[in-house]
Amino acid sequence: MAAEIYRAIADGILIGGVYALMAVGLTLIFGVLDIINIAQGVLVVLGAYLSYSLSARLHLDLFVGLLVTVPAMFVIGVVIHYAFIRRLRGQERTAMTLLVTYAVALIIEGILYEIYGPNYKELNASYVTNSVHMLGFYLPYIYLYGFALALALVAVLYAMLYRTRFGRSVRATMQDETAARLIGIDVNKVAAITFGVGVAVTATGGMMFGATNGGFNPNSGYDLISRLLAIIILGGMGSIGGALAASIFMLTVESLVTIWSPQWAIIVFYAALVIVLVVRPTGFFGRAPVRAQ
Amino acid sequence: MRPDLPWFCTKQALSMGVAAALSVATLAACSSSSSSSPNASSSSSPSSSSANKSPISIGASLSLTGDFSDEGVAFQKGYELWQSDVNAHGGILGRQVKLTILDDKSDPTQVQTNYQTLINSDRVDLLFGPFSSLLTTPSDSVAARAGYALVEGAGGTEAVFTNPANEADKNIFDVSLPVRDYFKPFIDWISSLPASQRPKTAAYPMADDPFGSGPVQPVQAQLTALGVKTVYTKIFPEENSSYKPAADQVAAAKPDLVILGSTDVPTVQAFVQAFKQQHFNPKIFLAAAGPDQGAAFTSAVGKGNAQGIMVPNGWYPGYQNASSQAMVQAYVAKNGGTASDVNANVAEAYAVGQIVADAVTATGGTDNAKIISYLHAGHTFQTVQGAVTFDNLGRNTAGLAYIFQWQQNGTQFSQVLPIGSTGSVPIIATKPNWTG
Amino acid sequence: MKASTVKASTVKASTVKPSTTTLKLAGLVVLAAVAVAFPYVYSSPVNTNYGVYALIFVTVASAWNIFSGFSGYISLGQAVFFGTGAYTVGIAARDWHMNGDGIFLLLPLGAVVATAIAVPFGLIALRVRRHTFIVITIAVFFIFQLMAYDFWFTGGTIGLPAPFLPWQAATFNNPFYFMALGTAAVTIALAWLIRRSKFGLQLRAIKDDEDRALGLGVRTMRVKLSAFMLSAFITGFIGGVWFLYITQVLPSSGYDPLFDLTIVLMAFLGGVGTIAGPVIGALLIEPGRLWLTTRSNIGWLANGYVSEILLGALFLLIVLFVPRGIVPTGREWIKKLRSRGRPAISPAGAAEQAAPAGSRR
Repeated sequence: MAAEIYRAIADGILIGGVYALMAVGLTLIFGVLDIINIAQGVLVVLGAYLSYSLSARLHLDLFVGLLVTVPAMFVIGVVIHYAFIRRLRGQERTAMTLLVTYAVALIIEGILYEIYGPNYKELNASYVTNSVHMLGFYLPYIYLYGFALALALVAVLYAMLYRTRFGRSVRATMQDETAARLIGIDVNKVAAITFGVGVAVTATGGMMFGATNGGFNPNSGYDLISRLLAIIILGGMGSIGGALAASIFMLTVESLVTIWSPQWAIIVFYAALVIVLVVRPTGFFGRAPVRAQ
Repeated sequence: MRPDLPWFCTKQALSMGVAAALSVATLAACSSSSSSSPNASSSSSPSSSSANKSPISIGASLSLTGDFSDEGVAFQKGYELWQSDVNAHGGILGRQVKLTILDDKSDPTQVQTNYQTLINSDRVDLLFGPFSSLLTTPSDSVAARAGYALVEGAGGTEAVFTNPANEADKNIFDVSLPVRDYFKPFIDWISSLPASQRPKTAAYPMADDPFGSGPVQPVQAQLTALGVKTVYTKIFPEENSSYKPAADQVAAAKPDLVILGSTDVPTVQAFVQAFKQQHFNPKIFLAAAGPDQGAAFTSAVGKGNAQGIMVPNGWYPGYQNASSQAMVQAYVAKNGGTASDVNANVAEAYAVGQIVADAVTATGGTDNAKIISYLHAGHTFQTVQGAVTFDNLGRNTAGLAYIFQWQQNGTQFSQVLPIGSTGSVPIIATKPNWTG
Repeated sequence: MKASTVKASTVKASTVKPSTTTLKLAGLVVLAAVAVAFPYVYSSPVNTNYGVYALIFVTVASAWNIFSGFSGYISLGQAVFFGTGAYTVGIAARDWHMNGDGIFLLLPLGAVVATAIAVPFGLIALRVRRHTFIVITIAVFFIFQLMAYDFWFTGGTIGLPAPFLPWQAATFNNPFYFMALGTAAVTIALAWLIRRSKFGLQLRAIKDDEDRALGLGVRTMRVKLSAFMLSAFITGFIGGVWFLYITQVLPSSGYDPLFDLTIVLMAFLGGVGTIAGPVIGALLIEPGRLWLTTRSNIGWLANGYVSEILLGALFLLIVLFVPRGIVPTGREWIKKLRSRGRPAISPAGAAEQAAPAGSRR
């Protein structure tokens, strides 16, 4: 029994890394821009398909392929923001971004169906199925690499947010958009770039998703978005470290409950989410809202 | 702000009037345009010389997008293949077949609207069923009330046959094997082995779905009676954050036999991947669905890894049946690929067409009431899936269950059980280890 | 000339005020007549089918608007009440062995159960700020969907069937149409009454600035919860109607995430917070998308994926170009049209003087 529990915890941590990569972009966008990006699930799948095309057609290694997909998704993110989201104004802005991103999700999904069809694809590599034997457990390489990537990404984003001038602009916008404008920050540019960065990091999540999910097709994004939203709220909107912590927490809880009843695993998580939110409405690491709602 | 109520209300009423007028206009346009253009086919019927006989119109709703899209599209190919074959041979009773297929997005509201449209706007003569047991009940309500037979190949759970509309009007006919009988040959095989050769332990991870847990749960009871100890039995949700935790638990229990209640290829692929990572290889590995998807399966798990994996089914591309062979050849000619690529859904769809053609020919027309009585009369029909006989609620009682296995390093999908049945080849009793 | 212009505008001005009430009444009467006559004029089940679904969504969108539109708390959990209403009727019909026309008596039960659920749901969810509120509603929604999959009495993935009603095919839809129409009418009337009541004012105060409303003595929790419960009651009721019409409830159809998003889209398209807005949105979107999908196999649309792309593009256009919704934007256009050539705000009295001075009409 003890071994089962340790294994479940190990699984939870490793799979949590994968979900963190998918959720970090969402929390960045939500935290800084107040945008509920319902398209995040489809963007993950888009990232998976981009990695698939590079890997299947050009035989690029999955991680090497990231050097292409991440900038590509950055551009896509900036374009989406400029074209659709920049114009939204007004009191109901948050709810309207919901609808706009939903529409974008539909369009992307339709395009993916057109190009790739409904059949499932997967990402293959030698390290996807091989594992290292450690402490009595088999830990698959792909998850270890993915977890390392998640840690690295979180570190890079923190460095960007706290060590660069651009990062300071982003944090200023997050705290108080009007004041940021008043001190001369080009809020539109910050918003567009932040959105682009959020989508760019999702490319990594997409690759990991494609490699570990056992097959994906354009429809796979729907199941993801609810879990990703729950993760970022639990972690605190805008908190990157919170996204990582919440991902690990969610997957570990699920993994442990799966020992007894897989069906109840996700319900327990959602219930935990509701409880945490009642006690601490801003999630684990969220900041108290400074803006008037 | 100035209280402006009178203007407010007037504009409200006006705008609601506009909306009502717009909607009425839209709906009027729908009804008039659809009744004046009943020829919305997704596949054109070939020009024929049967100028004095009107075409037979058949309508169907399929899941071309949404959750069931990959199988819905395979079904569409099956229906269309049947249509082109039938028309090439002169049609039914000398009349060409016109087929209209609508997309229901795997959504019950849309599927009901589609069948309403097919029945009342397009005024089709006959119907083919939708894909999936989940969509069959709302379709049947519409079809039964309007007096149409609903012949289908993808709704085999008990709930479909016992749904209130079918119990009242008995208009459902499922040409495929009912879910509860899927694993029968496997159980027979295990019981035929001497006790020392039977697997000692078994794991039953099942997806929460009538096609996942439905076929597997009866197996567990029967195998336990044969001395196979259950070391793991759990139902997991269809939509999972990750299959890895459950799969890792199965691997840790090290069972001889794993029967996976899967409903699609990704579930099997995820379990295979986890088993490989955990360096676990079961001696016998069966899945309820997935390995029957031909190339979609072998390209997912890798041909070498498919070797030895078994799956129940009522049909496979190499099936020794003249009409099945002809269908497979026609499919390959039309769509490319090889025989092994042909998905079982194609055969199910094709068989639906064959039953309907049989019934129309036997009753001399497209009268649905006559067709329903004819199909319930106890005849045995021959289809690409073998023999079909319908019981009073539309189940196929002549459906034979077979177990298939991937052999020849994952290139050959062969029938192995029942042993001694026509077409069965020797079974690989122990699954070889995973390849890279 | 001048004298006659003055006279004409005087006559015009004095006849404007009384006729607004007449116009309003006339508009509503026309509307009601159209709605009632519809299933008789377009009697094919195909058309009444669109009518039933359209009116179901009109009801839910209006009920949603009563809470979310007026209070500003955007809820993505409306399906919780919808599905619960459906499941309640299904479970009761199965366990109490009811069939035949008597099952319609179960509809109020569905509404009551949904309202009962709204109480703890609301007490938990309404204590947090709006952003968190949206996500709590999403979380609760998924909890309910998962419970529908996993509890022993809900039928699992295959859900519950509705008892068979041995009615004629040609007119089967009509009772449902009128039931949905009646519910929709009541809901719209309720929304209108609330809007002009003190309760509605309190809701709007909460929307504008909740802290200030609290400071002014509005019992915000009580007000929000009441609106929430009312919204739940209506949605639970119509959920039962939907269940009996479509004869089946699945965890994925009773608790459908797209359902929630579609309701929000309908309300926004029409104009959230207005009375007519959700109605217009629902009447345009629901029959529209159902019909478009049935035509999606013609010609260049003969590809389900293209129609999906088009649907998304359509949403985008709507949200980007009519961001405040059809009703408010329409109102602005009408106002602009009327005031062309005249000062924008002109109460009836000032028109009398302005007309001879600079009118170009």
